[in-house]
Amino acid sequence: METSDKKPSPAAAPESRFTVSPMTLAADRWMGRLIRFGGVGVVLAVFGMLAFLIFQVFPLFTGAKVTAVGSLTVPANAVAFGEDEYGDFPYVVLADGKVVFQQASDGKKAHEWSPALGALKVTAVRSYPRAGLIFLGLSDGSVQELRVAYRSTFDAAGKRAIEPVVTALPPVAIGKSGVPCQEVWNAKGPQSRLMLVRQEVAGKPLLTAVRLTERKGLGGKARVTVSAPFVVAADAASVEQVLLPSTAESLIVVGKSGEVRTYADDGETFSFLQAFVPFKDAKDPAVASAGMIFGNVSVVFVGRTGEQQVWSMYPQLQPDGKSLRRWGKIHDGETLAGAGEGVYAAEGNKCYLAVAGGKLQLRNMTTGSLRWEGDAPAGSIRQLAFAGNYDRFTALSADGKLHRWSIVDHHPESSWGAFFGKIWYEGATGPAYTWQSSAGSDEFEAKYSLVPLFYGTVKGTFYALLFALPIALTAAIYVSQFLRPEYRQVVKPVMEVMASLPSVVLGFLAGLWLAPLVDPRLISLFCAIGILAPAALFAGFLWSVLPQPVRRQVKPGMEFLWLLPFLALCAYLAWQAGPAVEAAFFTVKDTASGLPVADFREWWRQTTGATYDSRNSLVVGFVMGFAVIPIVFTIAEDALSNVPNSLVSGSLALGASRWQTVWSVVVPTAISGIVSGVMIGFGRAIGETMIVVMATGNTAVMESNPFSGMRTLSANIAVELPEAAAGHTHYRALFLGACCLFLLTFVINTLAEVLRQRLRERYKVV
Amino acid sequence: MSQIMNPPSSSSRIKVRPATEREGRKDYISIRDFGFWYGQKKALDAISLDIPERQVVAFIGPSGCGKSTLLRNLNRMNDLVDGIRHEGDITINGRSIYDPGLEVISLRRRVGMVFQKSNPFPKSIFENVVYALRVVGVRDRAVLEEACETSLRKAALWDEVKDRLNDSALGLSGGQMQRLCIARAIANRPEILLMDEPCSALDPIATGKIEELIHELKEQFTIVIVTHSMQQAARVSDRTAFFYLGKQIEYDTTEKIFMNPSQAQTEAYISGRFG
Repeated sequence: METSDKKPSPAAAPESRFTVSPMTLAADRWMGRLIRFGGVGVVLAVFGMLAFLIFQVFPLFTGAKVTAVGSLTVPANAVAFGEDEYGDFPYVVLADGKVVFQQASDGKKAHEWSPALGALKVTAVRSYPRAGLIFLGLSDGSVQELRVAYRSTFDAAGKRAIEPVVTALPPVAIGKSGVPCQEVWNAKGPQSRLMLVRQEVAGKPLLTAVRLTERKGLGGKARVTVSAPFVVAADAASVEQVLLPSTAESLIVVGKSGEVRTYADDGETFSFLQAFVPFKDAKDPAVASAGMIFGNVSVVFVGRTGEQQVWSMYPQLQPDGKSLRRWGKIHDGETLAGAGEGVYAAEGNKCYLAVAGGKLQLRNMTTGSLRWEGDAPAGSIRQLAFAGNYDRFTALSADGKLHRWSIVDHHPESSWGAFFGKIWYEGATGPAYTWQSSAGSDEFEAKYSLVPLFYGTVKGTFYALLFALPIALTAAIYVSQFLRPEYRQVVKPVMEVMASLPSVVLGFLAGLWLAPLVDPRLISLFCAIGILAPAALFAGFLWSVLPQPVRRQVKPGMEFLWLLPFLALCAYLAWQAGPAVEAAFFTVKDTASGLPVADFREWWRQTTGATYDSRNSLVVGFVMGFAVIPIVFTIAEDALSNVPNSLVSGSLALGASRWQTVWSVVVPTAISGIVSGVMIGFGRAIGETMIVVMATGNTAVMESNPFSGMRTLSANIAVELPEAAAGHTHYRALFLGACCLFLLTFVINTLAEVLRQRLRERYKVV
Repeated sequence: MSQIMNPPSSSSRIKVRPATEREGRKDYISIRDFGFWYGQKKALDAISLDIPERQVVAFIGPSGCGKSTLLRNLNRMNDLVDGIRHEGDITINGRSIYDPGLEVISLRRRVGMVFQKSNPFPKSIFENVVYALRVVGVRDRAVLEEACETSLRKAALWDEVKDRLNDSALGLSGGQMQRLCIARAIANRPEILLMDEPCSALDPIATGKIEELIHELKEQFTIVIVTHSMQQAARVSDRTAFFYLGKQIEYDTTEKIFMNPSQAQTEAYISGRFG
C-alpha cells in the first residue's frame, strides 16, 4: 500500500503534454540568424569585391592635382632660371649674365656669380635647369658655357650647408664673328654635343652650329674637340622658333609665316627633311608657339587663335613605295582660350603645359586629356621647367617672380579614351586599339587599350562555345532521352569528373601536346570532325531502311553499339584521307624553294594574307570547349532528365516519334535549365584563364582570323599582374580589366537569369 | 449492392445499363492467351478477351492486378519499360500489334490514350490539341483550327476555352486539363481510346463531365477504361473485366458482372469485401 501511495495516480496527476523544448526553439532561432548572416554575407562579399575593384580603379580617372607652392621675388632683369634637384636652391640668370642664387625657403640671396667677359656683352641666355647648364651668347658671336654644381659642406658643428659652385668654360666661337648672338641652344647627341646660335645678318636669320666631341684620354682627363662652325637651315626664310631635340638628331625651325621646316642630322650637317604648315587651313596660319614633347618625336603646335595640333614622325608610304619616317599630324587638340604663349613639355611622360589666354593647361599629348587647368601668373612667362620626376614645375615670369607649383598626378597617361578608345600613339601609322604595357626603353609609352582584350575574350569564348555547345547539348539530349539508364549512370559521373579537371592541365595538354600534334595534320583533323555529322546522318538513314525484324534485334538505347564503330571507322578514313585532300585543294608554291607543297598553313598565309600561328584560336576553342562541355552537359542533362515522364508518355501515346517527343516536348520544357547551363558555360569560358595563357601566344591582336592567337582579359591579368608595380597605372589598368570582367559576367548572368525566369514562366510544368 | 449502383450524383441516367448492341466487330480487339512479364515478375497470365467495336469496356480490380498493364499493352506503351516480355497475342481489327511490319508509331496513332494524371504539354491550348497533327506534318492552319474546334467540342471544352486558345494549357483547372487531354487524344482520330483511371484525380463534378463525355465518344470510338471506382465502371461501361493478381477472373456484360457475377471473387470485390 505504501508503495502504491507514492505513485501519483493517473487520474489525479495533470496530463503531461509533449512540449517543444527550449533547446529546439533556441536552435531554430539561432540557425535562422546564422543562415541570414550567411546570405547577407555573400551579398556583401560580392559588393565588397566590386567596391575593392572600383577603389583600385578610381584613381585612374581623377585628374592631376596641382597646387601653387609660392613665388620668390627675383631681380626684374632675370631672363632664365635653374634649380637643384629638390628645388631648395634656385638661381636666376640676369640679362647681363650674372647668376644669383636664392634660398627657396625665405628668398634670401645666398650667392652671386658674375661673368668675367671684359669688353664682351651677354646678348642671349639659355638655361637647362635639369642639367645645371647655362649658355651665354656673347656679343661677338661666341658662346660661353657655365656649369652649376651644388657642393655640400659641413661646418665644425656638423651642420650641412649647400654651396653652389659656378664653373665658366672658355667661350667657343660659333657664329659669324662680331655679330651678337640672339639665341643659343645646346643638345647632347649620342656621339657629340651640338651648340647652336642664332644671329641676324643683314636682316636675315643665320643659324650656325658646332659639334663638340669629348674624348677621355688614358689619364682620365677629357679633351674636347670643337668642329668647324657650319651653317644650318640656311634655306629658312624666317625664324620664329627653333626646336632642338635633346638628342640633337634633328632640328625644327618654325618660320614667321607658319611654315615648319624640319632637318635631320646627316653626320656632317643638318639636311632638309620636310616642310609643312600645320595651320594652313586657318585664317592666320602662323604658329604662336611650339614645344617638343618628351621622346623627341612629337611637337605640339598652338596657333594664334588657340588651335592645337600634334605632329609626329611615323612611317609613311612615299610615292616611290618606300615607307619612311616623316612628320605627319596625329592629333587635333582642343582649342585653347587664346594664342599660345608657350608649350612646355614634362620630363618622363607625354604631358605638356600650354600657356594661352591667361590660363595654364596641363594636358596629355597622346590622349589629349586635360589633366589640370589654372591661372597663369601675371607677367608673361620667360621660362618654365618641370622637375625630372614630374612632381613640380617652376616658371619665371617677366615681372621678376619665380613661381613654383607642385603636381600630384600618378596616372598622367590614363583616360577613358586611353582604355576604351582608338588612340594614335607616337610612331604608329594610325589610331588603333593597342595593349602594350612594357618595353625595353624608358621613353616607351605604355598602351593600355582594353578593347583588344575584350576582343580576345569574346573570340576565345566564341570558339569555345562553337565547339562545346553542339557537343554538350546533343550529348545531354542523347544521354537523358535515348541512352539506357544503366549507361547513363556511368556517363554522368564520368562527365562530372571531367568538369573537375584543373584547367592548367588542359592548357598544358593543349599547348604542349595537342597544338604540335594538330599543326601538321590540320586538314586531317578537319576531315575527321567534318565527316562525323554526315556519317551519323547516313547511319541513321541506313538504320531507317533496315527491315523492322533486323532493327528489333537491337534494344532501344543500345544503337550506339552499332553507331560508334561506324563513326570511328569514318573518322579514321577521313583522317587518313587528309593528306590527299590537302594535296588536292591546298597546294601552293613554296616561297623558299619555289616547288609546289601541299601545306594548308602556307596556303592560308598566301591566300588570305592572314597569319597562321600553331597556338591558335581553334586549339584554344577546342580545349576550352573541353572545360565547358562537362558543365553545360551536366546542367542541361539534369534539366532534360527532370522533364516529367508523363509528358514523354503523353507525346509518345499521341504517335510522336522519340525524336519528335524530344524536340517538341522535352527540350521546350527543359529550356530554362538548358539556358542556364549554356550561360554558366559561357561564364566559365569568359573567365577561363590558364588554358588561354598556356595554349595561345597571348598576343593582344584584334583579328577574327581563327588561326591567330588572342589575349583575354583574365589571361592578361594572370600574365602581367606579377610584374606590375603596385599603384602604377599598369597595375590599376589590370584592375580595370578585372572590373570590366566582373561587370561583363554580372551583366551576362543577370540577362541569363532574366531569360531563364521568363522561359520558366512560359514552360513551367504543372 | 444497390448502394454501389447508386450514382454519386442525382442524375437519373446513371444506372447499370444493358449492353447496347451496335453494329461492328465483336472481336475488334482480341486478346489471346496473353501473358506478360516485367523482368522475372509475371504481371499478366493467360488473358483472353474480346472487345467489341464502339463499346466501352471497363477493367476493374484491386491495385496491382494488372489491369493498367494490360491497357498499356494495347498501344505498346510498355515497350518503354526495360526487361519486358510477352506471350500470346493481341490483335486489333484482325492484325497483330506485334506484327514486325507494324510501326509502333502508327499503332499509337490508332490507339489513343488518356492518362491517370492529366499531362498537358507546356504549350498553348491550341498547340496541345493539334500536337498529334503537328507531328505528322500538318501545316495548314485551317485544317489545324478545324481539328482543334472539333476535338474541343467533342471533349465538351470548346465553350470554356474558345476565347483563350492561345493561353497556356497550364492555366486550366484539373478537370479542364483532363478534358483537354481527351481532346488531344481524339484530335488524332484514333479508333480506340484507352483511359487509365482518367478521373482519379478529379472532383465529382469534373468526373461527371468526363463520364458524360465517355458516353458521347462511344458513338465513334472503342473505349477501354481502367478504373478503381466500381460505380464509374457500372455507370459508363458496356462490358467489364475483373482482374485479380494478374489473372482474368471474369469478363462479361457490366450488368451481369454487377448484378449476377458468376465468380465468388468478383462478387466479393464488387461488394467491397476486399480490394
